[in-house]
Amino acid sequence: MIEVKNLTFSYGKDKQVLHSLNFVVGDGEIFGFLGPNGSGKSTTQKILTGILKGHGGTVSLFGQDISMVHTQDFFQKIGVLFEFPYLYANLSAIDNLKYFSSFYPAKQLRDIGEVLEELEFKSDFLKKPVSSYSKGMRQRVSMARALISNPQLLFLDEPTSGLDPTGAVLFRKIIEEERRKGTTVFLTTHNMLDADLLCDRVAFITNGNIVALDTPKRLKEQNSRRRVVVSYLYQGRREEKTIEIPELEAGIPFLHDEILSIHSEEPTLEDMFIQYTGRGLS
Amino acid sequence: MWKSFCILFKKDCQMMIAGKFFLVAVGSLLIYTLFINFGYINFMNMQLYNVYLYDPQGTQQEVSERICPVSSLEELETVLLADTNGVGIDLSSGTPNIILYYGSKKVDKHRADYASLLLYSSDKYTAQIVGTNTTKLKQQKEMSCELLFIEIVAVGFLGIASVLFKEKQMGVIRVHAVLPLKKSLFILSKLAVFLVSDLVFAVLLTLLNVGFFDTIHILPAVLVQTAILSLIMALMGFGCTMLLNDFKQFSLAYLIIALFVATPIFLSANTSIKMAWIDWHPFYQVYMGLKNAYFGVPVTSPVYYICSACGIAVLFVIVQIAFHKEMGKEG
Repeated sequence: MIEVKNLTFSYGKDKQVLHSLNFVVGDGEIFGFLGPNGSGKSTTQKILTGILKGHGGTVSLFGQDISMVHTQDFFQKIGVLFEFPYLYANLSAIDNLKYFSSFYPAKQLRDIGEVLEELEFKSDFLKKPVSSYSKGMRQRVSMARALISNPQLLFLDEPTSGLDPTGAVLFRKIIEEERRKGTTVFLTTHNMLDADLLCDRVAFITNGNIVALDTPKRLKEQNSRRRVVVSYLYQGRREEKTIEIPELEAGIPFLHDEILSIHSEEPTLEDMFIQYTGRGLS
Repeated sequence: MWKSFCILFKKDCQMMIAGKFFLVAVGSLLIYTLFINFGYINFMNMQLYNVYLYDPQGTQQEVSERICPVSSLEELETVLLADTNGVGIDLSSGTPNIILYYGSKKVDKHRADYASLLLYSSDKYTAQIVGTNTTKLKQQKEMSCELLFIEIVAVGFLGIASVLFKEKQMGVIRVHAVLPLKKSLFILSKLAVFLVSDLVFAVLLTLLNVGFFDTIHILPAVLVQTAILSLIMALMGFGCTMLLNDFKQFSLAYLIIALFVATPIFLSANTSIKMAWIDWHPFYQVYMGLKNAYFGVPVTSPVYYICSACGIAVLFVIVQIAFHKEMGKEG
């Protein structure tokens, strides 16, 4: 679906922001593009969505070079959710969706009511202006705008931003549903939980370079310290011991009355993020 | 493409209705019409300066009704102290001596000429009358032209900025970057809305203030000049909105434009002040084109139309670049 080879980009003569990026996103894959602020994530997404021109290297989407595919046909195949919910504040959710969807062929459109229902949008707000909506509701309408045209390739920038935990779970469910339908998803996020739960593969980008690219599971395994922390009771006292995983093969190697918990010391994706990018999440 | 244009055009009309732009335009139309018909015409019919004559030897047997005779030099000085805009003529020496309370060099000459004209109007001066416009119609056309120019330069320019700044703040311009439509249609639909709005305004203003029959004769030429000015101002407004960060910066740009566009043009076109460079001022040419259209003398020079078309094309290219830059900006 997406093939990027030696992608470079500069703002002006001296400000190179992307340095020879290489990655491939397969059909129906959810690909996470993770990096700190200013790392080049948005620039890459803008190049892929045809907003920024003048890049170096080759970028192919739908099997065609990007400079050839930026036609109306190309934009009919993609859906984009921006980091902020960009909507007409004076129009209602329905009017916004009617307006944005009217640029697509009618046969590829989903029913507005059905999409909003899937996103659990409050029905009493359907005809009220967007200016009266909470951030979470605006994000739902923006997501509906991205999904309404049944895109083959979906670009999502911080999809769960501004949502409460229930909303975030709902959005993850919807993204999973898109995967089942065969939609390819290019996910840009700071939310490591989203990336861990949703992405087939993730790439860490920092200072315009991809520093790691693999499945979340393998990235964590490769960097695992391979040990567990065991909490237990022995002679009425609560104790804790760290043991190497090979030691576990023959059972718990110390005396105990009762095992209370066993925690693996496996790193989280957030630990990986900090390790690879050298920066914490902001 | 046509379908996309219609969708954009409809949405822009909705935005302008929501922003009460049409209401402001209708309000302006009413105020301008009231001003022209009940203010400006009456104001312009007032006598410009009072002229006082001291002629102890009675050299002038027939004097104009607009001249007020005085009986002494002291009285002449007293009335000029009270009526500082007045002009005194002292004929005590046999030759007219013009007396003014104060004034600038150029205005002095005007007032002196006016007083002399009244003194000798019966025999020495005969003005040649050109054109068929009555004084009232001339004033109506003159002021309609000026107000139409102000409406497009000021109100239209601010109108496009207010609509675009709203869209810019809402971020929806960036959404259009990923919609399946030709991006230039976004600019063209805005231009079309403001062009149609300005043309309708020009038709109504002219009809209400110049009259039906005169309007029919001058309307095609007036609409051509209105279209040129409207496109230039809409493109300038669009460009400024894309390049400037907020409405505060835009207000400053607007002040500069108003200062450098409108002031020298009105000074050059309507007063005796002439600036050597004014012929090179593009808006002066457009203003004069509009004024001449109102007086039934449309611009026929192809150079004028070629320059206007080139100017509009260059502005369109600049606006397109600024628009693409805005679409690529961070949130």
